[in-house]
Amino acid sequence: MVHVLGVQLPDSQLAKFALTHFYGIGHHTAHRLCARLQIHDTCKVRQLTANQVTALAAFLSSPATSPNIPRVPLASLRFRPPPVSTPPQALLGAKALLAQTSAPNSNANDSLKKLKIETDLRREMRENIAHQRMIGSYVGKRHAMGLPVRGQNTQTNAKTARKLNRVERY
Amino acid sequence: MHPSLIVRSGRSAWKGPYFVSFPNIRDALANNVAIKTKARSCTILPNFVGIRFMVHNGKDYLPVTVTQDMVGHKLGEFSHTKKRFVYKVTKNK
Repeated sequence: MVHVLGVQLPDSQLAKFALTHFYGIGHHTAHRLCARLQIHDTCKVRQLTANQVTALAAFLSSPATSPNIPRVPLASLRFRPPPVSTPPQALLGAKALLAQTSAPNSNANDSLKKLKIETDLRREMRENIAHQRMIGSYVGKRHAMGLPVRGQNTQTNAKTARKLNRVERY
Repeated sequence: MHPSLIVRSGRSAWKGPYFVSFPNIRDALANNVAIKTKARSCTILPNFVGIRFMVHNGKDYLPVTVTQDMVGHKLGEFSHTKKRFVYKVTKNK
């Protein structure tokens, strides 16, 4: 059991599925997170190194303000390691490789930066519902009555809404 | 009113918000006179803040005082059209 930010991740699960245990992370975001942190698809949680776990925890603690995660250059499919006899000076330096890859997190539309999880997300949802209730809109009234908000049928079939819709929902 | 449209903020952004130009807006702001309107689909603009509207709900006109928080919403959201459902046992058996 690896503990990340108060959530237990089961050891035997694949990392990209284990990340969905966070409130606010689904399959798509989990896959993108693994790609960002360079955790491969078939990596299980018990195989994650301590550095990867700390990088993950650091990113998830505040995705918006976290520093850019550096991308380690990986070998291409056709990469063949140079023979042992080559002199060290002839080997491609790490600096040259890093210069080739573009900065990964510089995109303004980076949805991983806008990611909200756990308490932040719950707070945002609570505020949205409270805002609708405060201004006295139709949506707020439906939350208060515990009925469907988005125009669903109420003559039949409103069981989930009746069970879950509240003003103090999260 | 289409609740699903309201929830997913119905209109494309490039078209700009749909609103109705009220002729007596300045008068309403100055003298606090209510504006009677049937234009429920009119988006509330920032210059509407502080005005009292009487919004039609099919039968009556309900009072709506606009605040800063209401700016992106429509007038009809604040004027409910249905009576609250109350279960009463019918006399016919």
